[in-house]
Amino acid sequence: MDRFRFCGDLDCPDWVLAEMSTLARMSSVKMKLLCVQVIKDLLDEGIDYDKVSKLTSDAKFESGDIKASIAVLSFILSSAAKHDVDSDSLSSELQQLGLPKEHTTGLCKSYEDKHSALQEKLREISLRLGRLEAVNWRVDYTLSSSELKQVNEPTVQLKLQAQDPETDSTQTTVVTITADKFRVLLTELKQAQTMMNALQ
Amino acid sequence: MLLVLSEEHNEHLGSFLVRIVGESGRIAVQFLKKGSNPKIYEGAARKLNVWSGSVQHGLEGLMYLLTESCKLTISEEDFQDSVLVLGFSEELTELLLQLYLENRKEIRQILSKPAPSLPHYHSLEWRLDVQLSSRPLRHQLKPTVTLKLHLEDGAGRSARVLQTDPATLQHLIDELERALAELKSSHCRRILRNIQ
Repeated sequence: MDRFRFCGDLDCPDWVLAEMSTLARMSSVKMKLLCVQVIKDLLDEGIDYDKVSKLTSDAKFESGDIKASIAVLSFILSSAAKHDVDSDSLSSELQQLGLPKEHTTGLCKSYEDKHSALQEKLREISLRLGRLEAVNWRVDYTLSSSELKQVNEPTVQLKLQAQDPETDSTQTTVVTITADKFRVLLTELKQAQTMMNALQ
Repeated sequence: MLLVLSEEHNEHLGSFLVRIVGESGRIAVQFLKKGSNPKIYEGAARKLNVWSGSVQHGLEGLMYLLTESCKLTISEEDFQDSVLVLGFSEELTELLLQLYLENRKEIRQILSKPAPSLPHYHSLEWRLDVQLSSRPLRHQLKPTVTLKLHLEDGAGRSARVLQTDPATLQHLIDELERALAELKSSHCRRILRNIQ
């Protein structure tokens, strides 16, 4: 059986298979602690490299082995979360690849604990274009202008800060809207909001 | 008048030079990887009590020797023969040879980089959406695939955002697979065989 659910129903990459023996060189306890560090890295909580080198020192890992084991654990955990694989299926698939039972149990326990957090993080980093970062507004009342002595009109100024889709830098746009136009905008947006709420 | 050094002198000088070459070799490779650092010239010059210019020339000479050897991927014998002309001791020649062999692959990788190139693929992010509604039209069901193509060229990264419907995406995939299949055609195979 070549297809693996945690690989998205595709073949397991050769390098992942090759690194199973690297992971088996560690004790299962130390490997579970390494999983904890890798998960912290995936969740952007920061990986403690000092801890990692202490954990891998017994197995006499060289820097290449350390990088490989972090890479393979990262792949397994994030790919399993990506394809929403349950802990039991992951366990059976990893054992099929040759990861010893105790190591598999430890890994899957860590996976189960942080399963939702991982998926939440992956959802967060999914492609979003032109993310709206901030909205600021101001209501002004124009009394007079060079064209007309008595203007007496309220206007709204909207300052939108959004991410440029291609450069990812923040772009600021300022728009001034008259009361009527603003009313139309607000109605349309409320309709969109109703539709979004219906989908939640 | 020729200077006649005692056996002892020769040994000391030889081992001193060997140590310098070992250290210089390491520095030269570092410079090739990350660019030269003038402070090193000053520091080394002070320790050896020579003009910093000679340290610079020495290191640059070493770097040139390494890059030229790597450029042509010359064999061990050719390297040894070329260095022999400079009249170094056997130990020194051996050290230089080791330096060349150990760092050859890495230096070749560094040398391959500055070649002019078009922006090339770095990574691809994608997203599948369904448009349900828009201001002019409600109750739609329009699937769209949004792609963000990350590119890299010598100067840095850039990104292109593209959007397509599933039918066009399928067509794109078919065309790309056709391009890949070209590699297996007999015409292509013949040419690749001749190059290798």
